[in-house]
Amino acid sequence: MTAIDTAIRAAAAEIDLIGVTKSYDAKNTIIPPIDVTLRPGEFTVVLGPSGCGKSTLLQMIAGLERVSGGKIVIGGREVQDLEPKHRGCAMVFQNYALYPHMTVAENMAYSLKVAGVSKAERAERVGTVAKMLGLADFLTRKPGQLSGGQRQRVAIGRAIIREPGVLLFDEPLSNLDAQLRHDMRVELAELHRRIGATSVFVTHDQVEAMTLADRILILNKGHIEQFDTPKAIYHHPASVFVAKFIGSPPMNILQVEGDGSVLRLADGQAVANYAGKGKFQLGIRPEDIAVNEGGSIKTEIRYREDLGSHEILETKIAEQNLRIAMPFGVEIDTTQTLSLSFPQTRLHLFEGESGRAIANAFGDAQPASVKEYQ
Amino acid sequence: MSSESSLFSHRWLPALLLAPMILLILLFFYVPVFQAFYWSFFLEQPFGGGSEFVGFENFQRVLGDPEFWAATGRTVVFMLTASSLAVVVPLMLAIAADRKIGMSYPARNILVWPKGIAGASIGVVFAFIFNPFVGLMAPLNALFPGLWNPGIDGTDAFTTLVAAHVWSGIPFNFVILLAGLRSIPPTMYQAAAMDGAGPWRRIFDVQLPLIMPQLFLTFVLEFTESITSVFALIDTITGGGPGGSTSLLVYKIYVDGFRGFDLSGASTQTAILMVFVLLLAACQFYFLGRRINYER
Repeated sequence: MTAIDTAIRAAAAEIDLIGVTKSYDAKNTIIPPIDVTLRPGEFTVVLGPSGCGKSTLLQMIAGLERVSGGKIVIGGREVQDLEPKHRGCAMVFQNYALYPHMTVAENMAYSLKVAGVSKAERAERVGTVAKMLGLADFLTRKPGQLSGGQRQRVAIGRAIIREPGVLLFDEPLSNLDAQLRHDMRVELAELHRRIGATSVFVTHDQVEAMTLADRILILNKGHIEQFDTPKAIYHHPASVFVAKFIGSPPMNILQVEGDGSVLRLADGQAVANYAGKGKFQLGIRPEDIAVNEGGSIKTEIRYREDLGSHEILETKIAEQNLRIAMPFGVEIDTTQTLSLSFPQTRLHLFEGESGRAIANAFGDAQPASVKEYQ
Repeated sequence: MSSESSLFSHRWLPALLLAPMILLILLFFYVPVFQAFYWSFFLEQPFGGGSEFVGFENFQRVLGDPEFWAATGRTVVFMLTASSLAVVVPLMLAIAADRKIGMSYPARNILVWPKGIAGASIGVVFAFIFNPFVGLMAPLNALFPGLWNPGIDGTDAFTTLVAAHVWSGIPFNFVILLAGLRSIPPTMYQAAAMDGAGPWRRIFDVQLPLIMPQLFLTFVLEFTESITSVFALIDTITGGGPGGSTSLLVYKIYVDGFRGFDLSGASTQTAILMVFVLLLAACQFYFLGRRINYER
């Protein structure tokens, strides 16, 4: 480790949300009471569709939104009634929110200036952070003269310069183009490793969640659907919502009915053996479906998408959409009827009504790590 | 890139469309301006009957008149106090309205209303409001006799003028400044709050720097306009009195020219006033305009 590596290093704080809730009036509850503990130094990604309350949750931690009830404890201190500046958090905003009338250096040093840090120390800290983020040549420029990626770096620099115990990110990469987003993702992961602050990162992009997170918190209408490691979420989704949200293309969900020994589709085709009775939802990932290996399920290709590395086949069984991912190099005759089989070990079973996962539905637990997420 | 000439291929059409406007500006602005300059070199007979070229004699006479300098001094004082207040008061109102404090929505609407009132009407209303016997200050006068009387005290009269001018300037400046404030993205305030800046600090570090273009516009317009638009107020409230204490240059020109029939002197003072206003605006652009950051 060089000197730069250790120059900016935060004392990571634990974040406890205890029964935190947010509602604007009696009818509109954005976030029902939730309890979560984010470990010190952990990188948590809050993932969910728009309007699920993830940004509200972040703003409540930051102190930009008041909580309607419950406690927020950061580093052992109750902070829900404190001003943002007394919470020890720093935030990176989606649209950067840089001060357009200040130079890069002034932008980064502003929080120190407000805190009354001496000019000499401010310059030194700005120098360190700028070096770390590759901004040393741009210190006298205004944000308007920077590219999107550089602005994002300034926003990050402004956040980390105070060495906060908690770093909050509100969809910081969504304004960048695809290539830059990938590069910044890598940089952010590395930065987190160096600084070690407890990080909370809000996004609706599952790739960001899978690649950055130590643990992913999946929110649906303010409820926590699942809070676990990326691997666990991918391989053991706790609900249909999670199963459909993670993976590209997402997991296929089929409505099936159990007769006590097998699960059948609406048209009577048997797809799996299971001892339960009643309605269920059966999940299988597009890449887990075995094609033309002597399976009994018949279907026809409606559409194919060639993505280079793999191919997506759109099919239908029993009037339900089914996507199949074919690895590169497998030749498929699109005019022919496909025969499919669902390997028992790759199936996920969910309750018909609630959509909650039924653990170990098919005997042996599913393999922990069959395929690495790409 | 499509050039504009491809949209307007006709060669004379643009000129034709512009002609009425150019004609109007020429007739009602540039011709009188040049005429004022022209006349300032002639001595006009008060009751007609020809004029005589006198060179710079008019200027010598006007510049040697202590009353001219007194009126100029009063104009500068008025310009500095009334114009500054006419920007600062709406600025405070705009910041309050922008912060969504109680009643800020109806206030935003109501504050624009005075824009629709003519200067002379404002003058009549304020003459009444500041009347020492029946106006706003009457109860104070009952307690401290002689405290307020714009009919006798020049300072009181001047204060009345400033108050009326500031009040009439509120709507326009309020709208411009509020529009500037509304265009600041809310995340800017959130970022400043995360950086530890409280509401007061945010006004000076974030809001004011970001509405500099709007502030500059209102200041330039106020400084140049206050000099001439005050005429209606003086004419209705004080008539230049008491004892000439509210006779600003623009009013003196009117009195000299149309009451005293010193048409040449009035023309000369008009020419001087115009040059003064032009220089003022040029200075503002030169010293302030270049430093403004228009980036968002």
